[in-house]
Amino acid sequence: MSSAQLTEQRHQQGAPAARWLKRILLSDYFVLYLTIAYFLGVAVFFPALVEPRNLSNQLANVWPLAAAAIGETFVLLIAGIDLSIGATMGFASVAGAVVMTSAADKLLLGGSPLWGTLLGETGGVLANHPAAAAVAILVMLVAGMLIGALSGFFIARFRLPAFMMTLVALMFFSSAAVWITQSQNIVNLPDSFTNLGAGDVVSVYFGEKATPEIKRRDILPLVTYPMLITTGLAVLAHLLLTRTTFGRYVYAVGINRKAAAVSGVPVGRVIVAVFAIAGLCAAVAGILYSARLEGGRPTIGGGSALLDIIGATVIGGTSLSGGKGKIAWTMVGVLFFVLLSNTLNYMRLSAFHIDMVKGAVILAAALLDVLRTRLLQRDAL
Amino acid sequence: MTAALSLAEISKSYFGVPALTGISFDLEPGRLLGLVGQNGAGKSTLMNVLGGVVAADAGQMQLFGRPYAPRRPADAKANGIAFIHQELNLFGNLTIAENIFVADFPRRRGLVDWSSARSRAAKLLQMVGLAMPPDTLVELLSPGERQLVEVAKGLSVEPQLVIFDEPTTSLTARETTQLFALIRRLKSEGTTIVYISHNLGDVLALADDIAVLREGQLVAQGRATDFDIGKMIKLMIGRDIDALFPPRHSASPGAVLLQAQGVTRRGAVDNVSLSVRAGEIVGIFGLMGAGRTELARLIFGLDTMDSGQLALPDGVPRHRVTPQMAIAAGLAFVTEDRRQEGLLMNAPIADNLVLASLREFASGPGLVDDTASLAAAREMARRLSIEARDIAVQPAKTLSGGNQQRVVLGKWLMVDPRLIILDEPTRGIDIGARYAIYEMIDQLASAGRGLILISSEIEEVMAMSDRLLVMSEGEIVAEFQRSAWSRELILRAAFREAEAA
Amino acid sequence: MKATTKWIAAGAAVALGLAISMPSKAADTTVCYAFQDLSTGFWVAGHQAIVSTLEKNGVKVVELNGAHDANRQLEQVKDCIAQGGAGIILTADDGDSGTVVVAAAQEADVPIATFNRPPSDMSKGIVVVADNEAVARAAVDAMNAEAQKKFATTGKKLKPLILMGDLADPNAVKRREGFMNSIAKHPELFEKPVEVATKWNSQTALAGLEAAMTADPEIDFIFTSSDFLFPTIQSVLDPLGKWKKAGEPGHIILGGLDGDDGACKLIGDGFVDSTGVQDVYLEAELALTGILDAIKASEARPNAVKLDPGFALSQANYKEMADKTWGCQVLKSKS
Repeated sequence: MSSAQLTEQRHQQGAPAARWLKRILLSDYFVLYLTIAYFLGVAVFFPALVEPRNLSNQLANVWPLAAAAIGETFVLLIAGIDLSIGATMGFASVAGAVVMTSAADKLLLGGSPLWGTLLGETGGVLANHPAAAAVAILVMLVAGMLIGALSGFFIARFRLPAFMMTLVALMFFSSAAVWITQSQNIVNLPDSFTNLGAGDVVSVYFGEKATPEIKRRDILPLVTYPMLITTGLAVLAHLLLTRTTFGRYVYAVGINRKAAAVSGVPVGRVIVAVFAIAGLCAAVAGILYSARLEGGRPTIGGGSALLDIIGATVIGGTSLSGGKGKIAWTMVGVLFFVLLSNTLNYMRLSAFHIDMVKGAVILAAALLDVLRTRLLQRDAL
Repeated sequence: MTAALSLAEISKSYFGVPALTGISFDLEPGRLLGLVGQNGAGKSTLMNVLGGVVAADAGQMQLFGRPYAPRRPADAKANGIAFIHQELNLFGNLTIAENIFVADFPRRRGLVDWSSARSRAAKLLQMVGLAMPPDTLVELLSPGERQLVEVAKGLSVEPQLVIFDEPTTSLTARETTQLFALIRRLKSEGTTIVYISHNLGDVLALADDIAVLREGQLVAQGRATDFDIGKMIKLMIGRDIDALFPPRHSASPGAVLLQAQGVTRRGAVDNVSLSVRAGEIVGIFGLMGAGRTELARLIFGLDTMDSGQLALPDGVPRHRVTPQMAIAAGLAFVTEDRRQEGLLMNAPIADNLVLASLREFASGPGLVDDTASLAAAREMARRLSIEARDIAVQPAKTLSGGNQQRVVLGKWLMVDPRLIILDEPTRGIDIGARYAIYEMIDQLASAGRGLILISSEIEEVMAMSDRLLVMSEGEIVAEFQRSAWSRELILRAAFREAEAA
Repeated sequence: MKATTKWIAAGAAVALGLAISMPSKAADTTVCYAFQDLSTGFWVAGHQAIVSTLEKNGVKVVELNGAHDANRQLEQVKDCIAQGGAGIILTADDGDSGTVVVAAAQEADVPIATFNRPPSDMSKGIVVVADNEAVARAAVDAMNAEAQKKFATTGKKLKPLILMGDLADPNAVKRREGFMNSIAKHPELFEKPVEVATKWNSQTALAGLEAAMTADPEIDFIFTSSDFLFPTIQSVLDPLGKWKKAGEPGHIILGGLDGDDGACKLIGDGFVDSTGVQDVYLEAELALTGILDAIKASEARPNAVKLDPGFALSQANYKEMADKTWGCQVLKSKS
């Protein structure tokens, strides 16, 4: 019997329902189907959530999370993990704020190690300077990249497990951020920066023009700066992964690091670059959150942020064992995750219950990943 | 007399590829059956079925007249079958006694009875002739000593049937003699034995009966006295010995492509110097653990040398090499383990083919020209007759072993190397595909490339090499020209028997 | 994309279109109360006051716990707005995030009031805040009465000490001010006060107070910026033999601020002389009437600062003021 015939025979085994289910589970578009199905379910049970007002509001939560998740995707692709992505967000947030703040309260920040040198009562180094925001953003991006590159270096050179190294980076940089700011927030940021957090480029209004005055709350932002920034980042990341040699190397290292090394792939450099990219994406997320909250806050990226970021990426279908994943998947995963969070909030569950449900969903996603890997291996000729 | 072991129509396939087809034989109790066959003929699969590691797809087995269908190794053990594996399953960080009883420690009142474990272990060690205290950590033992521990472990269940799978690969001559004495003693006590080995001479010396497997089928069976080595080889291969290897078109060697001087790495390779010229095939033969793969890794830059110098095909002498440097200088390395190091199993064949030469297809900021790279991949697949439906989509793991090896070769040919290192290139590949690979090797040499052929199969290395280096314990102990070698000389050198004699 | 996917996506788009075009039903008035955990008795009492009053007024209350995550709170409030909330009552984690949330609500023309913790920009929103300076001053004034009596007998100036809160919290800053202002009225009674920083942390307070008492055993007038530190104070004074009731020798004049159940009991028992009470019932009422009035008047961006002057609960006025003190109510419900 030829091998092709034998495989067909294997596929015919099992009830039709089980086969259909297996095909759905193995499909690359699984999370997309799931999100659409979930959305339809929500539309039936919680109609208030599919109103354009709510959807537009939820979309605003998607962009900063997606920026960080894009970075995490790169790391998962090489079969690593980055636990420091939240801490990098916080540190970058603080680093940028220090540069562009226009006033600082001595009582609050006087104890900072930067007081007197980089930070004073009149603010940071570029206080009130027209280029302050731009330079601060640059500082944030570079800070993120360097933090990532540092982790990547130790992981590549000394073969430290990524889990361990990024955990150390998490502890170090979140503490550094708190130390620099003495647990305070650095406010008084220039408008040109804070506009990035919520500025609309295009707004829409749904509904009849019943009153001569349109209620402000009904004017919904459609195209916002965060949207443009994150979408741009996503497109760049996608091109990088699918069209360049670097992208191919990333997948190769994730699928089989040893074989990649034998084939001449510069594995060490790829690892450092991947973590640097993750740091950069974390910095972008930090920029978006800082702009939204109008301050450099060392606590950005803390709390359940890590759970949200890694969870959304895993739900999207990027495999924890490396070599499998796409930026598009991650975007869908983030979308699903935000929808899920919205539903849970709407149900007025306590914060702890919400985290528990999120954790359960992420666990299900991880199990699904393992199941799919196993199914694929079994089907192999 | 009831057969000790009786097999009827045992069949087994892996991923649709048949490994065993309709195996039937009877084994009388108290006799030793020698089981021989090429790599991939099905010996290990058959033993795995017997030992309960995998389940047969079809057929029945009987053990001393009772139906026997093990579902896991523990079942085999419970039925009195001891399976002494080719791959050692020992835990380095545990002691000998702990390893022997790892699955079932002697207990006293619910707790482990260490004194009983130790004394029983000591007795077993005495039986196999290993003079070590049972508390020795296994990681301190040599490969040969570990093999004896594995034997002791098997004997700990006082089995009625013992299966030895390639037990002498790591043993010294003295240890081998001791093992044979043990085997004869077991036989005299009534234990039934199955002995699998590539060493046909040993098999003939020990066996009462012989069975020959070829491509998953039992092609011959009978009293050992009816067989001789030539007959066994012919049955194993299925054709005349002469037709196993293609004719070798040796050309006169050209420029020196590789010059290694004093390459040393502690614990692996000791002061190795060699050179390879264009158009010549240099074989490297040796036992397991001789350091051949380690040497190849050093030449290619996967490991760092402690001292020594390497002049690669570009002529520049170096103390430090990286794989990227090696490839750029014209080297290629077909590794021993294609699954772990040769291929990205889950990636499409085309991706595998272009992996080493990606830079050739990139322009500007690293953008890859997909059309060009895919076209080149298809061309290479055609040249090497890689059988696949669509190489752009099909993952490498769906291919047969022979085709997989072609993909690996294809990948390297795409960087147009001047010197190719081949480490066990035909391992795990069936006869037909092997021949094709030998032909390719011959053609590559004729076209002016240099090749290093590392192999544990003496016939292969004798048929294909122009020059042969023998390694043992990290050193090159002998060099033979084609005109002046013989199987015996080579083997003696590998076993360092010249010194012992 | 496969055909099935296209069909499913099309179906989803149709469903979405239907959902959007359906008219939303008229919602009853919903007010969201966004807070950050209920970590002390004060917040529990306040929460209770707000929720029950809202419900009494026939308003649907949606409770949103931000769990000390500023971003989460911002998202929750935005959710509330998007889901049709008519008004918002907010207790932020810190002054800065409070300002951002207030701005978000006003951006969407939803009236918002802050309860107790003021945003750093107090010009926006209905800011209901205890006049911490006045409350502290009242408490210390009550303590001063005792100080007068002591001075009259001993003729020695008293050595005061203040346990300060986290100076990032504007409340803490104001309370210190009130203490200082009260002391300054009687320079003849007091030496220069010792200032101990606690950052609102009892461990830090313990260490600081112990160090101060060791450095100067003559300290006999202690004010804590929050009542929750009284157990800490007791653990330091008791081993020194200075934890005595009023009237007994060795009694140190003690005062605090908040008016929690612990302080209520201690005043009743005589160990503590006075505490400044934040009139949480008044504050809740001020926040609620502010919001409900704004909703009724369709006022989108009400701005006002409403101060709660509070009062001092002391051993002298215990009988009359205990009922108005939220902490004593809590104590009553426990017993």
